[in-house]
Amino acid sequence: MSASRRVVVTGMGSLSAGGIGGTAVVARILADAARPIGPVRAFETVGWPSRLGAEVDDAALEGLLDPAAARRLSRICRLTVAACRLAVEDAGVPRGPALGLVVGTEHGDFRSSEEFVTGYLKRGPSGLSPMIFPNTVMNSMAAVAAIEIGARGPSVTVNQATVAGDLAVARAAALVRDGRALAVVAGGVDEMLAHVYRRLSEMGMLSPAAGRGTEGCRPYEPDHNGVVLGEGATFVVLEDLDSARARGAVIHAEIRSAAWGNVPVAPHTAPRRRRDLHSPALRALVSAGGTPSGVGTCYGSGNGDPALDDWELGLLAADRLPAPRSLASRFGQHGGLGALRVAAAALDGLDKVAPSATTLVMVHGLARGGCRTALLIDRAA
Amino acid sequence: MTRVVVSGLGVVSPYGTGAKTFWTGLASGTCAIRPLTAIDTEGFRSRIGAEVPADVLASLGPSRRRARADRLAMAAAREALADADLSPTDRACAGLFVGAVGGGMLEAEAWYWEEARTGRPSPRIGALRAILPSTHAETLSFRLGLCGPKETVVMACASGAASLALGLDLIRSGAAPLALCGGVDALTRVCFMGFNALRLLDLEPCRPFDRDRKGMSIGEGAAFVVLEEAGHCLERGGRAYAELRGAGMTTDAHHVTSPEPSADGMVRAIEAALTAAGRAPGDVGYVNAHGTGTPQNDRVEALALARVFGPGRVLLSSTKSLVGHTMAAAGSLEAVASVLTLQHGLVPPTANLRVTDPDVPFDCVPETARAVELDAVLSNSFGFGGQNVSLVFGR
Repeated sequence: MSASRRVVVTGMGSLSAGGIGGTAVVARILADAARPIGPVRAFETVGWPSRLGAEVDDAALEGLLDPAAARRLSRICRLTVAACRLAVEDAGVPRGPALGLVVGTEHGDFRSSEEFVTGYLKRGPSGLSPMIFPNTVMNSMAAVAAIEIGARGPSVTVNQATVAGDLAVARAAALVRDGRALAVVAGGVDEMLAHVYRRLSEMGMLSPAAGRGTEGCRPYEPDHNGVVLGEGATFVVLEDLDSARARGAVIHAEIRSAAWGNVPVAPHTAPRRRRDLHSPALRALVSAGGTPSGVGTCYGSGNGDPALDDWELGLLAADRLPAPRSLASRFGQHGGLGALRVAAAALDGLDKVAPSATTLVMVHGLARGGCRTALLIDRAA
Repeated sequence: MTRVVVSGLGVVSPYGTGAKTFWTGLASGTCAIRPLTAIDTEGFRSRIGAEVPADVLASLGPSRRRARADRLAMAAAREALADADLSPTDRACAGLFVGAVGGGMLEAEAWYWEEARTGRPSPRIGALRAILPSTHAETLSFRLGLCGPKETVVMACASGAASLALGLDLIRSGAAPLALCGGVDALTRVCFMGFNALRLLDLEPCRPFDRDRKGMSIGEGAAFVVLEEAGHCLERGGRAYAELRGAGMTTDAHHVTSPEPSADGMVRAIEAALTAAGRAPGDVGYVNAHGTGTPQNDRVEALALARVFGPGRVLLSSTKSLVGHTMAAAGSLEAVASVLTLQHGLVPPTANLRVTDPDVPFDCVPETARAVELDAVLSNSFGFGGQNVSLVFGR
């Protein structure tokens, strides 16, 4: 691996409740103040504690894929394939052995698992579909997307709550920096499912947790009372700087460093007062030769989960980093959100931050269970 | 190039607990594939597999309420850390890479079955908290005090091997001096039913590379290794079993369940691992093959090996013929087998191999282990989604 490899962002593709498209569309969506969270349309929520969500427009999704090919894919695979294709077309990156893929997801393809099992419960062994079974493995989205975009380098699926997309982009940056690929398409995906939504709602994970206050996603606010689920897929194209320059790619931003770590706390917990002795945010800054005061903007993974929001604010304050902004209140919590934050940071670097000493943007992530990520993003190289 | 060694081993396999028990089973050529008892097999074509014996499972602490897969992972991880004799300070800077597929699905299936059949809420709903594969890493990092980078890698049957490849990269990048890497999977109904539905399971214990092979046998287990920067290991007086010299990771991008017929993806993974290891094909004396026993996989893997090494130029055998296909754990179990093969100078056999397929132009070490002095060993792992991972270990 080479310490001299620099990693840049050369493209993006996104399907979220806010819209569908490449860099131009993502920039417009992020600049728009609209909040597409609304009552869930895909399934009935009557009698459940929660009713809000941020859904992808299925009609627009179908328009992106060849109908015959789409019929063979589960919905989450369609989301993944469409977003990866948008990102690759946006970047103009070539197919082949030098192209890798990293997919982050929290829930994977539960829809297919449920469908597979239901076949058995209704009709016994004869009801099992050999066509559906491969989708029950969480790397099925990466499998079909790799075929679609011709990614024949490393293809990695990472499973992680809350920060799956952040972790996927950090992993991809390491693959490029370590010389395993010249370019990697990286991001995350999740879809909303009735079963998952209902159980999370009944367990008090979704707003309004245990009926306290008004339902809504209010990260870091005093009256935050739970997560609002979203869905979608967002992928960015990370590329070796020299390779990107050689092919004349448009370079949106540079990933100056990526670090991730673990605060060892009990699974699914978010202890507000627990501090991190190995902060990946500080490690990322050291690696990039920066300091906390050099970070102008920080995107956080706050999603309205009160304990998690408070814990993240405490950790960032301890590291003397700026108060974070969240995108969850606009697009809902899902596996693609981390990559959308990276896209936002990359576009900030291009257009919105006035030249100054504080041009670094931190994309920070924290999950229950202690997974913590930090990506340091700079304006165009 | 930073040198990375294997300084600790931990295994729970169908033979029982412990890396020594595992090696004893492999070296003796004992096939652990039997009728399954952990799940209902009534009405299915194949009803056998390699499961961790009930008495062994019952002996695993600390909590019987924890998911079966979590318990397997915890036991193997604890053994690896104890074997490496790491201090709490060393543990605090250790990374964690867990290859996983099924997560706590076995317990979640029981919940879902009950609700679907009775139409009433089931008290087993707590099983959902452990359903995701990432729960293993959360449990291990918390219980074992690991504070370094933590990842859950889901790469189908190549997950366990990928965990070692990514751990190697982490240490070489300087982000951590050591990492606990491995894979785990417990038997699940979905996995058993799925491979039955695909008609990929042999009715008898699997016969990799045999002319008359009919498919695979599923299994379960967990294996973890401590990977450590060589200087760090030396400085603290640790023991190095072997060196992980290189890893290759590629994707076929061809088909979701079938390998690329030309074996191009596998060849690229093997060649990348050799290049990273600074070794030529002639340096490798033995390949711990992916060797599932399905007609297609074994044929394509043999083609890949023939393209890289030349027909007959290397010994190969299949661990899966002895302990079944342990899914996400397979790559790490086979990594441990490769390390112990190097250490003992003994190649474990391919069980149930009577007549080698003419399309497999290699000595597959049938039935009986063979003493061979080895300098380097290759371990292959391939999976659904065209995932190819190859690891090169050296003495």
